[in-house]
Amino acid sequence: MLFVLVYLGALGISHAEPTADAGKTVFKNYCASCHAKNMKSAMTGPALANAEANWADYPREELYAWIRNSQALIAAGHPRAVELWNEYKPTVMTAFPNLTDEEIESTMLYIRGMADGTYGPSVVANGSGPQAQPKEASNNFLYYALFGLLALLALILTRVINSLSKIRAAKAGEVYQGKTMWESLTSRGMITFVIFALIVLGGYTTVNKATDLGRQQGYAPEQPIKFSHETHAGLHKIECQYCHDGARRSKHAVIPAANTCMNCHSAISYGSEYGTAEISKIYASVGYDPNTKKYIDDYENMPKDSIQAIFSKWIGDQYIANTDGVDELDKVGEKLIKSEWKSIVSSLTNDQKESIGGPIEWVRIHNLPDHVYFNHSQHVTIGEVECQTCHGKVEEMAIAEQHAPLSMGWCINCHRETEVKFSDNEYYQSYAKYHEEMASGVREKVTVQDIGGLECQKCHY
Amino acid sequence: MQSNVWIGQKDLNQDPDFIESLDKEFQDDVQSSVLEKAPEMEGNRRDFLKMLGFGVTAATVAAGCDIPVKRAIPYVIKPEQIIPGVATYYASTFIESGDCEPILVKTREGRPIKIEGNATLTKNGGTSARAQASVLSLYNINRFKEPRIKNGDGWDVGSWESIDKTVSDAIAGAGKVRFVTNTIVSPSAKKAVNALSEKVGNFKVVTYDPVSYAGMLEANLADFGKRALPKLQLENADVIVSFDADFLGSWLPSGDVSADYIAGRTVSNVNNAKMSRHFQVESHMSLTGSNADNRILVKPSEMGAAIAYLASKIAGVSSSLKLNVNAKKALDAAANQLRSAGSKGVVIGATNNVAEQRLINAINNAIGAYGSTLNMSNANLTKQGDESELDALITEIKSNSVDVIIFNQCNPMYDYAGAADLASVLGKVKTKVGLLYANNETSGFCDVIAPTHHFLESWGDAEPFEGTYLLQQPTISKIFNTRQAEDSLLKWASSDQSFKDLMKMSWTSDMFGAQSDFLSSGSFWESALHDGGFTSGSGSAAAFAGGNIGGLMSQVSKPGSTDLEIKFFETAHMSNGQAADNPWLMEMPDPVARTSWGNYLAVPVNFDGVRTMAGLNGLKDGDLVDLTVGDIKYRVPVIQQFGMMPGTVGLALGYGRTNSGATCDNVGVNVNAALPKVDGRTQYYSNNVGVSGKLGKEEHFSCVQYHHTYGVTGTDKKTGETINADEAATVFVTYGVVQQGYQGGITDRSVIYNTNVADLKDSVAHLKEKRGVAEHLNENTLYPYEEYMDDKYEVGHHWGMHVDLNSCTGCGACTVACMAENNVPVVGKREVSRHHEMTWLRIDRYYYGNVENPNVVYQPMMCQHCDNAPCENVCPVNATNHSSEGLNQMTYNRCVGTRYCANNCPYKVRRFNWMDYNTADIFPANQPGMGLDTDVPFYADDLTRMVLNPDVTVRVRGVIEKCSFCVQRIQEGKLTAKTEGRRLEDSDVKTACAAACNTNAITFGDMNNKKGDLAKKLVSPLNYIALEEVNVRSSVTYTMKVNNRDKSLDA
Repeated sequence: MLFVLVYLGALGISHAEPTADAGKTVFKNYCASCHAKNMKSAMTGPALANAEANWADYPREELYAWIRNSQALIAAGHPRAVELWNEYKPTVMTAFPNLTDEEIESTMLYIRGMADGTYGPSVVANGSGPQAQPKEASNNFLYYALFGLLALLALILTRVINSLSKIRAAKAGEVYQGKTMWESLTSRGMITFVIFALIVLGGYTTVNKATDLGRQQGYAPEQPIKFSHETHAGLHKIECQYCHDGARRSKHAVIPAANTCMNCHSAISYGSEYGTAEISKIYASVGYDPNTKKYIDDYENMPKDSIQAIFSKWIGDQYIANTDGVDELDKVGEKLIKSEWKSIVSSLTNDQKESIGGPIEWVRIHNLPDHVYFNHSQHVTIGEVECQTCHGKVEEMAIAEQHAPLSMGWCINCHRETEVKFSDNEYYQSYAKYHEEMASGVREKVTVQDIGGLECQKCHY
Repeated sequence: MQSNVWIGQKDLNQDPDFIESLDKEFQDDVQSSVLEKAPEMEGNRRDFLKMLGFGVTAATVAAGCDIPVKRAIPYVIKPEQIIPGVATYYASTFIESGDCEPILVKTREGRPIKIEGNATLTKNGGTSARAQASVLSLYNINRFKEPRIKNGDGWDVGSWESIDKTVSDAIAGAGKVRFVTNTIVSPSAKKAVNALSEKVGNFKVVTYDPVSYAGMLEANLADFGKRALPKLQLENADVIVSFDADFLGSWLPSGDVSADYIAGRTVSNVNNAKMSRHFQVESHMSLTGSNADNRILVKPSEMGAAIAYLASKIAGVSSSLKLNVNAKKALDAAANQLRSAGSKGVVIGATNNVAEQRLINAINNAIGAYGSTLNMSNANLTKQGDESELDALITEIKSNSVDVIIFNQCNPMYDYAGAADLASVLGKVKTKVGLLYANNETSGFCDVIAPTHHFLESWGDAEPFEGTYLLQQPTISKIFNTRQAEDSLLKWASSDQSFKDLMKMSWTSDMFGAQSDFLSSGSFWESALHDGGFTSGSGSAAAFAGGNIGGLMSQVSKPGSTDLEIKFFETAHMSNGQAADNPWLMEMPDPVARTSWGNYLAVPVNFDGVRTMAGLNGLKDGDLVDLTVGDIKYRVPVIQQFGMMPGTVGLALGYGRTNSGATCDNVGVNVNAALPKVDGRTQYYSNNVGVSGKLGKEEHFSCVQYHHTYGVTGTDKKTGETINADEAATVFVTYGVVQQGYQGGITDRSVIYNTNVADLKDSVAHLKEKRGVAEHLNENTLYPYEEYMDDKYEVGHHWGMHVDLNSCTGCGACTVACMAENNVPVVGKREVSRHHEMTWLRIDRYYYGNVENPNVVYQPMMCQHCDNAPCENVCPVNATNHSSEGLNQMTYNRCVGTRYCANNCPYKVRRFNWMDYNTADIFPANQPGMGLDTDVPFYADDLTRMVLNPDVTVRVRGVIEKCSFCVQRIQEGKLTAKTEGRRLEDSDVKTACAAACNTNAITFGDMNNKKGDLAKKLVSPLNYIALEEVNVRSSVTYTMKVNNRDKSLDA
């Protein structure tokens, strides 16, 4: 009986009404790595905006069957399936046998919504980032309004005083010699005030600017490859430390070597956003021929022309394969090849590095001064600090930027507030006094400051 | 300071200039000399306005500029074993002209930056100063960067193909091919040489050593039938008699000699102290002599007589050779003690005379030293050369029969006494091939240069002792277009095999066969490579078969009859100049004379009976004289040296290099040409010598002897009172008039405590009393601050150090290790002469005891990390302050350079960056050149900068720096413990100096860890704190120096 109830309950859940929000989750988890989010452009897989229309001639179940296991349907000789296969082979659509009908319907709802722009929540989601800005603007506006009001009041009061003086003078039978605007502006008091204000303002700005010198919060330079953390960390939920594998064991978090990229990109060779444009740069860096799916022997000594030939063919083939209604290289394709090759060359070479092969020279975003020692493993492995604490929501950054000011005040503040993982690590047993104090209730917690985290030679040596 | 301890004759004499100079922390006003160097820096009003205008504009432009774009460049394919930011260590072997040491090489991102000792294969895991410095020669800017072929007076850059063809062609048609080399200590390299010799009809290896051991080798061949040197096993020795052998310095440096020596001289139990007794017979004060209990002074030419005298006493025969009375008396005592020590005695001699060496063998045999203190079955193989082979080579060349000479990583044109003769005939040799690393005296004579790898880029092996095998592996891929010498040999022998393969083959067969721990050759190779070698212990038996003492006594060298003799000696760091182009070694002071950048003529100081010391001919430190040896004349500066035999002067080998780069070219003089030969063997003394009177003053006299001294007392001119010379202050207030004067207080400062092992109990009581007085003084403070309380550092760590002055031999390895670890710049001769050396760790040398023949104590002196530090509370910007772990922290980016802290440091350990020594600035006027002929500063090029430790800030001009207790290592050790989730042990953190020490003289650790290594050292009743009475609460503890001097000889 209980079993039946549970079963019914489960059914109840699975039979929930399809919603576009549920569809978004499914899409993000399963589809987005191959299908474009805007539903209108082709990626590894085709654009999905017209999927329902294309399958309209067939029973709905056959669409479900296609999504759950496309290869089976192709093998069975389903006409639409075969048509699609001919267009996209040898790329195989991953099978999703566990998707329920409802989940598929939800996804369809979401796809429809995204395609015609009626899916609402996304607007809100997109707006969550920049929301801070208008808030700040409105604050400023308030100040401006207040300032204006006060200025107006001052002006009115001046006029009033002026008028009153005039009246008083008239009453006393004198001719009132009111100061002209020029006279009051050049008066001793005014000039003194202006100079004083300028000095204060100048000093304030100088000190502030000087403090900020060398700080680059919000720095988001253009990188040689338009690598998107949003796609990798956000959409595909790749662990930060999969690529930045130094963070747990070294002072450097480490920019991943190109061979780390190749772990995935030997299989994923057509990007969801930029197609061949960016991923080809990885191949050109490590010397991988995507046409043959093999590493090139003696790549260091390969002439530039041969490298160009390899990537021109690759870009051209992919252009033809991924563009609707194009069967051979047209003018647009030629242009694409040219521009993408140019971009490969400009991204991978510079004054000091002539060869295309070799390391990708990323632009360093987080620059600590040379006299600062910072160790990632101390913070990540011992302190168990989330990456996001210092680096912000990297998984939402299409272009990586410096989140924190990386100023000493910022570091110090965190060291003041952060509690040490004191009882978990036997190392801290040498701080016996603190353990006693905590046991007796005298001390609530031990912060980094308490174990010397604010001292100069914790970071400067 | 105690009245019987002194620094040098200026201190002993109470030299008024010296005493007066002590109250000045900074001896040379740098501004004036900058102006003198850069006249363009002088200016007038118009220049000032121009500069002002430019400055304002530049500042405006600079403020508007963007921050420069920095790149982050990852690997393309990351090697598995490299984690950027984490050091990787490889076991390897330091080999330099036969001398070898097992080492660990610390690499960061594939680049060697530091040499550490190999604790698996050595007793204490230390190294020598030369091994420490060797990493810098990898980044020598003068090394060959590509193969070269001579073209007239210049060089053409050649390809390896063209070089190989030239050499192969030359060899193919050659009559005689001669291979000139220093001792090849590598069994595999010998195979490579053999491969070449098999290809050539008339091939001969000519082996010689920079400093000759030929006489000793011949003696052992005669007595043991084995041309090898004994392995010293000094840990078994109770009585050591050394005739001029500087075994703690450069003489036969191999294995754990100093560790073994110190093992017999450690006082562990005060109530029952036992120490070996060490007699050193010598004419000049060597490093080993300075560590000896009794030094027996003889003239250099009397050495043979002294050996014969001891032999006669042991054998019970009489010796008729002339010898001074004091020496005879002392040798009588030595003979008695040797006889009673029996197999626990040992006699060592450095003489290059076969008969004298055979007499020493006979003595050792008579007392039973072989098998106990000396080991001939695991003999030392690091020296196998014979300079007479070079003499023979000259004869061969003269007969026009030598077509090809290959110089293998040696420099005979500098370090062979007959270099001039060789040079005059070399033109007759058709092809001269140099397997050389960098430009030197020999490279100029070569037709072809096949540049070799640095040892850190090479594969290799070594057999320093029979049965001990060491491995060398590359720790960086080759930086330039060079090739390992052995690979060149194999190539010219038309072999397809690489040297690595040859070596691996011989290891997996020969060496694998010599051990029994591993069953598969693969795992044996892996393990040996990991450990850096292995010891099989097996040797070849050698029985003594000599012994005609009477017959040998007639063959010893006869004492000279001249009034003046000269002794040529090796210093611990320079040997015979093999690594003279290494700036770290050049700047390291000679431990005994404390001179750097050049060799200085050591002249004896004579005691005139009224506490005034006068040098020979009235010469004083820094006077220039003409020295005539035979018909060669040298202009050299003088250093007054205690403990010299009267009528003897001394001069070091290894200086005066030419054609070898700015570091060493024409720094000092080359004395190799003046070395006389007897029976074809180079002698390191001469009695055909003359010293002129004072001819001038050395311009840049670089002796650090009187720099940064502390605790010196003097007599106040006005009051006649004894005062602390380094503490001038405005203290006397008489009727409202403030006067310059000296503070009162204690003048008997705790700087050095010393005693004789026989007086140990009394001395311990005395020390206890003195420390009691100091503690009493310190308790009576006016300032009952909280921080004086003992529990201030009870939470977490409290770092401290213990320096055992009984274990310290003064070798200086720690000072070089400190420079390497902490990016300490080399400042050059001119700057050293102005007291501007930047060393964080110095080794102060103090004499004590008998003025004419004193004993020596070395005191490593670094920041004491005082818990009540006087430097901290005078800093106006709080750039130096105290950490909760008891560290005296120096924050460079906060320092504004007032130098108050250095003024207030009682130990004089703070260093100021007067100039831009690290070339971080942009104004060349601030960057002093290193040598005298060059304006190139030390860190001016990117190659040298590769040696920098990336974890330590490179300091700029205008800031103070000092010992940090290697805080980067402390932090690393803490992190390791945290990562492994365990308590920190003292072994997790070793400062660079402690890690480099061969004798474990320095122990670093957490004073709060009551079970740690440091805590064990801190209980000794011999411990004291330097300047304890000034209440600075130092974290460094020293021990009283104990000697085992035979006091019966003092009377």
